[in-house]
Amino acid sequence: MTGMRSSRWAVLVCVLVASAVAWAEPQAAAKGTGANDEGNPRLEATLLVDASQVKPGDTFRVGVRFQMDPGWYTYWKNPGDAGLSTDVSWDAPGVTVGELRWPFPSTFRSPDGFIVSHGYKGEVLLFAEARASEQASGNLTLSAAVDALVCEHRCVPAEILLSRTLPVGAETVRDAESTALFDAAQAQVPRAPEATGHTVALKLDAQTLKTGQPFTGTVTVSASDGKVLSAVEPDFFIPERIKGITRMGLTLESPGRFQLKGDAAPNAPKEEPRFKGVLRLGTAQTGYQALEVDLPLASVEAVAVAPKPVAKVAPFNPSAAAAQIQTVMPAGEGGVSLGLALVFAFLGGAILNLMPCVFPVLALKAYGFTRMAQEDRKHVGVHALGYTGGIIGTMLLLAGVVLAVRAGGHSVGWGFQFQEPLFVAAVCAVLVAFALNLFGVFSVGTDGTALSSKVDASSGVARSVGEGVLAVVLATPCSAPMMGTAVGFAFAAGPFTVLAIFTALGLGLALPFCALVMVPGLSKRLPKPGVWMERAKQLLGFALLGTAVWLVWVVGGLAGVDGMARLLAFLVAVGLGAWLYGLAQAAEGTRKVVRVAAAVLVLVATGGFTLRFDGTAPAARASTVSEAQPWDEAAVAAALKAGQPVFIDFTADWCLTCKFNERTVLTREDVRAAFTQHQVAFFVADWTRRDARISAKLGEHGRAGVPMYLVISPSTPDKPEVLPELLTSDLVIQAVQRAAGPVADAT
Amino acid sequence: MKRVLTALALTATLGVAVPAFAADGAEVGKPAPAFTLKDETGKEHSLAQYQGKIVVLEWTNPECPFVQRHYKVDTMQNTLKGFDAKKVVWLAVNSTAHNTPDKSAAFKKEEAFTYPVLQDADGKVGHAYGAKTTPHMYVIDEKGVLQYAGAIDDDPRGKNVTPVNHVKTAVDALINGKPVPAATTEPYGCSVKYKS
Repeated sequence: MTGMRSSRWAVLVCVLVASAVAWAEPQAAAKGTGANDEGNPRLEATLLVDASQVKPGDTFRVGVRFQMDPGWYTYWKNPGDAGLSTDVSWDAPGVTVGELRWPFPSTFRSPDGFIVSHGYKGEVLLFAEARASEQASGNLTLSAAVDALVCEHRCVPAEILLSRTLPVGAETVRDAESTALFDAAQAQVPRAPEATGHTVALKLDAQTLKTGQPFTGTVTVSASDGKVLSAVEPDFFIPERIKGITRMGLTLESPGRFQLKGDAAPNAPKEEPRFKGVLRLGTAQTGYQALEVDLPLASVEAVAVAPKPVAKVAPFNPSAAAAQIQTVMPAGEGGVSLGLALVFAFLGGAILNLMPCVFPVLALKAYGFTRMAQEDRKHVGVHALGYTGGIIGTMLLLAGVVLAVRAGGHSVGWGFQFQEPLFVAAVCAVLVAFALNLFGVFSVGTDGTALSSKVDASSGVARSVGEGVLAVVLATPCSAPMMGTAVGFAFAAGPFTVLAIFTALGLGLALPFCALVMVPGLSKRLPKPGVWMERAKQLLGFALLGTAVWLVWVVGGLAGVDGMARLLAFLVAVGLGAWLYGLAQAAEGTRKVVRVAAAVLVLVATGGFTLRFDGTAPAARASTVSEAQPWDEAAVAAALKAGQPVFIDFTADWCLTCKFNERTVLTREDVRAAFTQHQVAFFVADWTRRDARISAKLGEHGRAGVPMYLVISPSTPDKPEVLPELLTSDLVIQAVQRAAGPVADAT
Repeated sequence: MKRVLTALALTATLGVAVPAFAADGAEVGKPAPAFTLKDETGKEHSLAQYQGKIVVLEWTNPECPFVQRHYKVDTMQNTLKGFDAKKVVWLAVNSTAHNTPDKSAAFKKEEAFTYPVLQDADGKVGHAYGAKTTPHMYVIDEKGVLQYAGAIDDDPRGKNVTPVNHVKTAVDALINGKPVPAATTEPYGCSVKYKS
């Protein structure tokens, strides 16, 4: 306001000169009209003082009384969605004029309710406290330049210059008529709660505000005498314009208790926005109590709802597609609607089939197809159902575990089960057993025994179910694209949603296989079975063993060398058990015994070989990317402060997609060169072991699992860019360039 | 393998372009709502056809004093003049319930500007964008993502000698591949006179 003083003054002079020319009047009057609407002035303004004479050093009140034509209104200090606040600039030599006081405003809505504004109909007196200086003598000249927008359906601006004199005398003499007007206006001006014996408390339902997301809370008003006006009229709360808050409102729950609802802006600044506005208790019958509230809300957490679309996708236009979806989909909570999340979960599940960690299962299935192709369609259907059932069952089990763990107050995420060494060991054992089965150490059901003359469908189905279970178990450490969003949504949602999302995931995972089985033409195109199948089967066994080796390494990360050794010993036992089971199964098992012995020998040898390794601690593992530092919010903030772009790699040992990205993209020469060139601070957030901080960070960005890649620019530290879950070197380099700032040639 | 990866990357793109549903119009950083509107001559314009260019949308109403003030000093025309015509498209939108193509044509003639005035008398596009005031400005980047929403400048009262033109700042930033410094500002002006 004060910064405008000089330009206001210039305007004042201009207006003075103009009005002098127009009216040939040397001085503005205490009354003026404005907002000429086709010759009809819609506003009359009068400069009022509550004293007819003032003593030097005394205080008085000075104000402008606005009188509008019926239906016309002026605006409050926060005009709302449209309009312009009324501005009164004082010019009073020898007088200090305080802040303008605003009586509690009315709220106006456009007929469709879309545009809400705040202001005054009929009339209002905007006033300020003033004080005559100790040296004042003679006549004080008080001038006010009024700049107001007056609206009905049309808006007409008004610029009025008002002036009057106030004699200085030995005593201050109040003017009864205007004092009544000032008193009436003052009664409507909201006051600080303390000044009225009230206390206002605010409790938010969450620790922080999340950018672009709604927030809720409770506001309680209590009075020292215990008497809080219990009723309110509509529009009893009007927020001021608060940076970072797009909308905020209160609803009455019970006397003195209000529910706060608001939306944080997507680009809300980090500093704490405040709960600021005016609150009017009471009704016309009970009388009003207007309070000015100003309380801290909470600090803001930046949340990216979804990563930005990848650049340079030639034929496909994500923005247009998203915009299309946007017009069709109903609004959901937390940025994604359930329907959309289900679609993403389904697609994500389907894509899981192509992920590296599902490879062994896919291989197994490929083998299964050829086997299936030989069976008649009915059995194939049963198998498909069994496989799907196995997948869905396991998914639901996972969902149940998620819910249970969440109920226990732990933070969980996609792939969380791989943070539990026991679980990994169990998966390992299953893999080894499966491999042994493929080597023919033992058989599941009747498969592969010469004795069975008939295909026993039911036992075959059990196998399919088992494969379904295995598919899920192995798939989980890979957070496929899209699934991150869908699962992230599920993890933050209610139990029903969690179950629905996991079911959709399972259906997606089972889809390709089921399609192959159920579409008649497809299975015919698979190669004919023969001796090669036996060989292929055995070969797949080695693939499974390879996966087991990776899991052993994961356990190493979780439980160190001793843990690995224990696991391997356990695996040997598994092998032994499988072998014994095989012996029991078949009488003429001599050749099998030799094989089992060989397998066990290989296992033991591998175990012995691995045991000679030093257990690679997670910290050392981070060295796959040069100069990586362990992720830490403080260190990130420090790097940003120093003007460095920041790259954060959220990873885990058991996440193959993460490893794939690290090996093939993040360690590439050109990517490393870009990091060096732009002095990128590279952080690794290792989620191999359970880490609530990392889980929380993932959740902030709507993810439930790794990988997640954040690129933060020092110029916009509160707006990290989230990269897709499958990286390409171009993508990383471009993101880093964007974050580093000025680019010579915009891509 | 490479093809598989490309396909995956594509799907990933699909997967990550999750729109967040703003209850109150368009949101900066998100794809701008798609639209197809006829201008005052009856020619259709859609947001999609301008993909690859920066699009400036200006909510206008010739009856509003704020709009009148800006046209009196050619704020919009001068802002547009400062841009590379090959890279930037300017579209005015009128969501006033009682506006007609003829009125827009007359306004255009009177103020001697060349960009189209899109006719949105039913207010659908205005509501999709959450346009509240005239003028209310939106800047959409080449990829169709909304990058600025708010006032034309920082001078609601028209009294600054050197107002900061937010739209110019935003477009210049986008052309130079930089982030828009202030992605949202409080729009000022008359309320959009939507049909009720």
